[in-house]
Amino acid sequence: MKRYSDPYLAGVGIGLVLLTAYALAGRGLGASGAFSSVLAGTFDDWVVLELAGVAAGGLVSARLSGRLRRAIERGPQLTASGRMFAAIGGGAVMGFGAKLARGCTSGQALTGGALLAAGSWIFIATCFAAGYAAAPVVRRLWR
Amino acid sequence: MMPLSETGALDPRGVLLTAPLIGFGFGWFLERGGLGDARKLTGQFYLNDLTVFKVLFSALVTAMLGAFWLDRIGLLDLDLVYLPETWVLPQAIGGALFGVGFVIGGLCPGTSCVAAAAGRLDGLGVIGGMLLGVASFDAVREWIRPFYESTSLGAVTFSDLAGISRGAGVAIVTGIALAGFAIASRIERSRS
Amino acid sequence: MTRLHRVLAFVAATLGSAAAFNDANPGYISAPALADQIMRGDSTLRVFDLRSLAEYRELHIPTATHATLEELSRTPFTGSETVVLYHLRSFDAGAAAVRARPRFRLKGPRRVYLLREGLYEWIARVREPRLAADASDAERAEFERASLFSRFFGGVARTNVARSEVSTGYWTTGVQLPAAASSTTESNARQAVLQVRRRGC
Repeated sequence: MKRYSDPYLAGVGIGLVLLTAYALAGRGLGASGAFSSVLAGTFDDWVVLELAGVAAGGLVSARLSGRLRRAIERGPQLTASGRMFAAIGGGAVMGFGAKLARGCTSGQALTGGALLAAGSWIFIATCFAAGYAAAPVVRRLWR
Repeated sequence: MMPLSETGALDPRGVLLTAPLIGFGFGWFLERGGLGDARKLTGQFYLNDLTVFKVLFSALVTAMLGAFWLDRIGLLDLDLVYLPETWVLPQAIGGALFGVGFVIGGLCPGTSCVAAAAGRLDGLGVIGGMLLGVASFDAVREWIRPFYESTSLGAVTFSDLAGISRGAGVAIVTGIALAGFAIASRIERSRS
Repeated sequence: MTRLHRVLAFVAATLGSAAAFNDANPGYISAPALADQIMRGDSTLRVFDLRSLAEYRELHIPTATHATLEELSRTPFTGSETVVLYHLRSFDAGAAAVRARPRFRLKGPRRVYLLREGLYEWIARVREPRLAADASDAERAEFERASLFSRFFGGVARTNVARSEVSTGYWTTGVQLPAAASSTTESNARQAVLQVRRRGC
């Protein structure tokens, strides 16, 4: 299994991908929006197709780096089923929050943040603050 | 002149075709950076793995500087790029909820797809949870509509609100990111 | 920190700080400052209304002419003008047009300003200023100045109103346009904009 690449370089790579999206499609990245569209039965939405690409890119990269494996990533104190419950629960809270905020880390923090959108920066601030506040409470999930 | 989608060089079908390609690049780099691993992602919030901050902000700054300067030299018309609108309270509360959900679930919507594609079943769990969350929002949408549509400022940048130029906003964000990277280095050094 | 990191950081720092000094964005002008310039008969001043023609005809800032951004980008400026642009309200979907910089890059007016809070600000602070019953001295001073404008531009200044009727800040509420329903004007404002299509993320 190969080592992960330098986070700054990966970041620059993502930034260039985002810039390409601005330049070609006049919009940035997204993720949470795809979930709404899929629930509504709309599959020819830009974000849905984008997420399909995200999965493909993740798959190929994992394959080429020997990181493709079936697993349930979790903290040392947590059982597999405990992790799955937490994943679903956390996902549900995120889904609700992302609808309220009209986006998630991809659409608001990254895309909107790079465009200086006010609401996106509000999202970044409260998202990180809440994460740090909640982390000690759910420590058992990860440490 | 870019965006090609707005200046006619790319028709709607062409624009749709760019989606999976751009997504592929996004997923590729996310996986490369290790963001398909929930333990790595949550490490940010226990201050022992600051990858999330590094990746997010270097991506943000790269795209921001690229967009600003391409616009400045006349190759990209930034006004034709979709700017997410601002709803102060819903985004503040939604962001907080999202942050809480994130430390519980360990993966965000985008990275959950990367994780799932690499075989991580917890990624599938988050995806399932997201669908539930979105569905429950739709279920109560009418009740919370007044809140959901409150405090709208339209498509504004924080530089607009602060009365400063866009370039000044860009400089400030760059400064914040670089300072953050320096702090991240310091934190990592003190823990090793 | 490797060498590559240092190079990236340096490039970012350079491009970032250069951005602060290198912006073609227009600045902001306040309604009272604009009123002052109009009253003094500044001949280099050109005020443009970016809303629809119908809205312009209903009510516009005195001496303003109507224009679309396309027309503006084709207008031959001599380079000595001071241009002021306004829309209904700055923080609005119509804000895209107001923020959008017309292509004044090469040869254009010497200074371009936006009336930050648009026509609403003009009405609230120039044409129909209101003084709250419990106003502070600073507010009284501004109201004095505003009543001069208001008389000049044919509006009505009112004193002794309830605090809630005095508009402040960005959420400029409680300001009634003298003419038609504000909801239709706002949806017109939304249309008088560049093609910034809404998309979800």
